[in-house]
Amino acid sequence: MEYPLVLEIQDLSHWFGDNLVLYNVDLDIIRGEIVSLVGPSGCGKSTLLRAIVGTHPPCRGQVAVYAAGALAPAVVLKPSRDRGIVYQQYSLFPFLTAAQNVAMGLMLDQTSLPFRFFRYLSWRNLRRRHLAEAVALLEKLKLGHAIHLYPHEMSGGMRQRVAIAQALVMKPEILLLDEPFGALDEATREELQRMLLTLYQENLDARRMGESPPYTIMIVTHELNEAIYVGDRVVALSQFWNWQEQGHRRCPGATIVLDQPVPVYRPDEERHFETFIQIRRRIRHAAFEPSVLQDPQEYKTFATDLASGRGEGVLQ
Amino acid sequence: MIRQPISTRLAILLGILSVVALLMGYTLLSYVQHLDNPDDTTIPTWSQLGEGVQRLLEANPRTGERWLLLDAEATATRLFLGLFYGIVGAIILGLLMGCYAPVEALLVPPLSLLAKIPPTAALAVFFVLVGTDTEMYVAMIAFGVLPSLAQSVYLAVHDVPREMLYKAYTLGASQMELIWNIIVRAVYPRLIDSVRLQIGPAMVYLIAAEMVLGDVGFGYRIRLQMRLLNMNVVYPYLAILAVFGFGMDYCLRLLQRVTCPWFIRHGR
Repeated sequence: MEYPLVLEIQDLSHWFGDNLVLYNVDLDIIRGEIVSLVGPSGCGKSTLLRAIVGTHPPCRGQVAVYAAGALAPAVVLKPSRDRGIVYQQYSLFPFLTAAQNVAMGLMLDQTSLPFRFFRYLSWRNLRRRHLAEAVALLEKLKLGHAIHLYPHEMSGGMRQRVAIAQALVMKPEILLLDEPFGALDEATREELQRMLLTLYQENLDARRMGESPPYTIMIVTHELNEAIYVGDRVVALSQFWNWQEQGHRRCPGATIVLDQPVPVYRPDEERHFETFIQIRRRIRHAAFEPSVLQDPQEYKTFATDLASGRGEGVLQ
Repeated sequence: MIRQPISTRLAILLGILSVVALLMGYTLLSYVQHLDNPDDTTIPTWSQLGEGVQRLLEANPRTGERWLLLDAEATATRLFLGLFYGIVGAIILGLLMGCYAPVEALLVPPLSLLAKIPPTAALAVFFVLVGTDTEMYVAMIAFGVLPSLAQSVYLAVHDVPREMLYKAYTLGASQMELIWNIIVRAVYPRLIDSVRLQIGPAMVYLIAAEMVLGDVGFGYRIRLQMRLLNMNVVYPYLAILAVFGFGMDYCLRLLQRVTCPWFIRHGR
């Protein structure tokens, strides 16, 4: 079966002077997936994410994005509207209310400074439509009560919800989440995880209707449970692999050491903890154990798993 | 107990009490002084002060001019024009320095040096360059407040988190939109704070310069009346300056509160 790609990372390496961070990272992301990216701290998860956002292009290799329906991918050189990002903090503009924050993307994308200045009346009409669209999206994400609040008046969970709405309003090809729930308490965290699963259900609905799934998400997290619960696929980045046997005198950087599909949950479904423990043990062994230096290919079973029908959700 | 809060009523009462004490202290002081010397003008009585105020307000029978109007017009024009040019220049330079590294490298060293020259000392330069009219005072105030204002704008731009800028790029912002819709918006309340802090220095520069070189204006009048020991004119002028400075500060604070309801100062 053919899976439409959204993002293609080829042979990506990155280093800061003497500090070798990423080595030959290859990753294809399929439309409609929620990919969880995990790895020991300092392994370059954020560096990889920055390369995808385009703020820090890689030293070698490239990231390319397929626009919906496009045959050839566009190489990422700088941040742009086809890749949305939500950071752990500072994603929202503190001087705008929730609705204005969400409408910001529509404004920046659809209008220009001269238009807003010289054709003020048309701009005002358009602005009203933008705000209405923003409010509709916020209501869909259960934030109808918060549309007039400023970020400093919201709780951490609300802020991240608004930040996700702010990114989603652009209908990006892929939404990147950089430790988005890291600063939240457990209950809020779970609520937001369920929100992502609700979005994933929309992907499945779209696929059932024969349409292209609307949300592709990559989430960077240090919580393995979160990675397994939210994602339909887990990718682990690690500097612990058998670089010595491959002829390197020092570690050339972290690379992908595990790539596999994981079970998909509906938002209201109970988690199966046995499976969680198994997968967690596997990830720990492959990526977090400094003494286990295995071939990176060993746990990269995603392609064969898919071929043998072990993918769930949009990967079925 | 330390930092124990008190009721609002008590706070207001204490505030009024301190002002009343100040006025009564002054009355007592001038009374004692006038027991020694009934013609004393250094600590004028309230009635002498009233005469002084009258002199400020009455028209000169020959020219029809009124001191207060004359001085207020001259001083206010110089102050506002100077502040205006200084602020506009500081915003432009500060934004450029904060946004573009080459401009930063180019301008930070000279600005940090220029910021250390007392503007009143540099008065001679402006005297030579633009003459003795309003322009001289305007140039002095503008160049006096510009370096530190530009620096604070530049620092405020630097404090805008990178994430916020990247975020704006992923929302499709252009360079100009980034500056206008994100950076200027984020820096604006801090600019108001910096301007509030610069009003005091600007007034100091202006009054001092007027005392030295002026032929009209608050500084000029104060120096003249000071020499004649006409303190009943000097004190009202000081009071007017105080009220003016306080009013400016209050207006800017109000402006900040109304236009930036989102702004919370750190450490409050």
